Amino acid sequence: MNMTDAWLLPLLPAAAFVALTLLGPWLPRKGDWLAVGAIATVFVMVLLIAADFTDALAAHGEEFAGAANSTQWLEVPGQLELRLGVHVDATTIVMLTVVSFVALMVQVYSLGYMKGDSRYGWYYAVISLFVASMLALVLADNFLLLYFAWELVGVCSYLLIGHYNHLRSAAEAAKKAFITTRLGDVGLLIAIILLWRATGTFNIQEVIAAAEAGEVGREVLTASVVLLFLGAMGKSAQFPFHVWLPDAMEGPTPVSALIHAATMVVAGVYLVTRTLPLFQLVHGGPELILAVGLLTTFMSATMGLVMTDIKKVIAYSTINSLGLMFVALGVGAPAAAMLYLFTHAFFKALLFLGAGSVIHATERQDVSSLGGLWSKMPITCVTFAVGALSMAGLPILAGFWAKDEILVALLDNKAAFALAMATVPLTAMYMARVLILTFFGDPKEPESHEHAHEGSPFIFVPLVLLAVLTVFAGFVAFDQVGELMGFPGGIGEIIFLGHPHAFHFDWNVAIGSSALVLAGLAAGWFAWAARPSVPGVCLSMLRPVHALFANKYYLDDIYQAAIDRVVLSIARLVAWFDRNAVNDTGIDGGGYTAKFAGYLMKFQQTGKMPNYALGMVIGVVALTLVAFTLKG
Amino acid sequence: MEPVAQQIPLEHFLALSAILFSLGVYGVLTRRNAVLILMSVELMLNAASINMVAFAAYASPEKFTGMIFAVFIITIAAAEVGLALAIILRIFRNLGTANVDEVDELKW
Repeated sequence: MNMTDAWLLPLLPAAAFVALTLLGPWLPRKGDWLAVGAIATVFVMVLLIAADFTDALAAHGEEFAGAANSTQWLEVPGQLELRLGVHVDATTIVMLTVVSFVALMVQVYSLGYMKGDSRYGWYYAVISLFVASMLALVLADNFLLLYFAWELVGVCSYLLIGHYNHLRSAAEAAKKAFITTRLGDVGLLIAIILLWRATGTFNIQEVIAAAEAGEVGREVLTASVVLLFLGAMGKSAQFPFHVWLPDAMEGPTPVSALIHAATMVVAGVYLVTRTLPLFQLVHGGPELILAVGLLTTFMSATMGLVMTDIKKVIAYSTINSLGLMFVALGVGAPAAAMLYLFTHAFFKALLFLGAGSVIHATERQDVSSLGGLWSKMPITCVTFAVGALSMAGLPILAGFWAKDEILVALLDNKAAFALAMATVPLTAMYMARVLILTFFGDPKEPESHEHAHEGSPFIFVPLVLLAVLTVFAGFVAFDQVGELMGFPGGIGEIIFLGHPHAFHFDWNVAIGSSALVLAGLAAGWFAWAARPSVPGVCLSMLRPVHALFANKYYLDDIYQAAIDRVVLSIARLVAWFDRNAVNDTGIDGGGYTAKFAGYLMKFQQTGKMPNYALGMVIGVVALTLVAFTLKG
Repeated sequence: MEPVAQQIPLEHFLALSAILFSLGVYGVLTRRNAVLILMSVELMLNAASINMVAFAAYASPEKFTGMIFAVFIITIAAAEVGLALAIILRIFRNLGTANVDEVDELKW
């Protein structure tokens, strides 16, 4: 399978979506095998394409930039030519692997987790549509196709967050996620149009080439880069748009794993990785990414520390990770960001699926009603622990290598390095907290603990596979490992975007961050396992700080107030105008005028035949006179 | 014998037709009895027939277009009278009058 055949990839799940939507109710098992089969085929195809890519890389060496294949979509002669196609390079290969593998795991997991759901077929249809759009987003060689796919994944996210549509909270969360990301998407659309006006093309590579050649004005480039970043911020839940992601946990847990951890939310990171040269052309562009990433990663770590919902803790850890990826992009280390994205997909999907296993078994998701589950669910416990420690950044787990790569890249920027280092123990602490409160200690609700049990193989096999990857995926950064796996020049070459020796390892940073991780884990163990009275004491001492974190920095309240005050008052004004001016005067006014005129005129209809006859005669005479007058 | 066209000028026919038509209009507008109104309508129809025949005789004497029209008008007028009388009869049976001023059910 050639790289240029990659356009086939999104078509398979898209076909599955169409088949499931049209025929779902009549297919055996509501057609879930179709969706799973499509994504499994896609995964195999991705592996073949990756093999083709490594061959090409070996043949062409470092200057190999990737393969493109596009076809004319529509043309206005002399005005506009739109081409539609795929572009496969190292970044694409990494994203394709992540998307197809995690999607496969999640769909297999859903066979167990979603069993008996009243909208089972629809769930699989939308998941297939999501995978198709995500693949299209990753493969797109132009901004237009990317934007279509970008919106499509947003729609799928909306549909899946609101999957339990009988819950008001789920419907509200779906709406919030859609509207919040739309705010950023508007920026992205404007940026795409601005860049198109400046360069005359939608092709990403051509736009970058034109900008580097100085064809785009400084103001236009600055504006479009900032607007582009708005889109990325919305999708990747960066401050101040991050508020939708924790609420998105209302959706089914496998959806959280696939869309709100491993794939869709990293679309923003992917977009910025793709367009990073544009940011670097703008004065202050990288600094903007860095600042937003740092702020997000630090704030989300503090909020993760106080959340009690197991899924929300993981959601904040996702925001934390996304912030870290933007930090890496901000200091010009896209390779580090991609390595983190690659490993993060595995351990974060693992964490969510582990949480899903707990929720499936106990029907509880608040840590205050869980606890002591390790004896009931050993597989889930071990795999979740692997994921949590990887997120914390414990050495040799995947998260460690990726995070250290980012920290090393930060070394030149002392303030940013310090802030990133400060979040390391916080992350370790809240991951230890959620791990301890869920699986260790005494069960807080003996009844649900009693019924808890390990799920079906559909549920624990993906957990084990992801855990294995979480342990080993970090090693791909080393060339030797890649060569052992049969990739010429090391698989690291793919992760590092064609710069195989870019993997930095700094013993000082590694030891320092590991010490901080251990300190964070120890603090977590001390506070929530060894001395359970400590959190209470801290809480009484730091009540305002806790309130600040637990209320999410009051951002939701501020937004709500802003919506109430500004949006609703404008809406009220518009509604008043609509009701009075448009409706009452414009529409009803015309109707009433006609009606009144009719009322006045109806009295001409006397019903007496001579009156009508007289009318006719007068009419004929008048017409005759007119005719003679005109004739002259 | 000379054709009638040379003996009497066309204007005389037209004047006759106009007078007849005006009488008919006057009758339709002033009579209140439905049967009399019907008769006035017949006058108007006959005025039209005279016009047809007169013009035909003067404009194209070799053809009979106008005369054929007149025959048609007479036929249709006969049918129309039959229909109209039937309607008037029904109105009289239902409302007890043939006075058109009192027949004003179809109004606002």
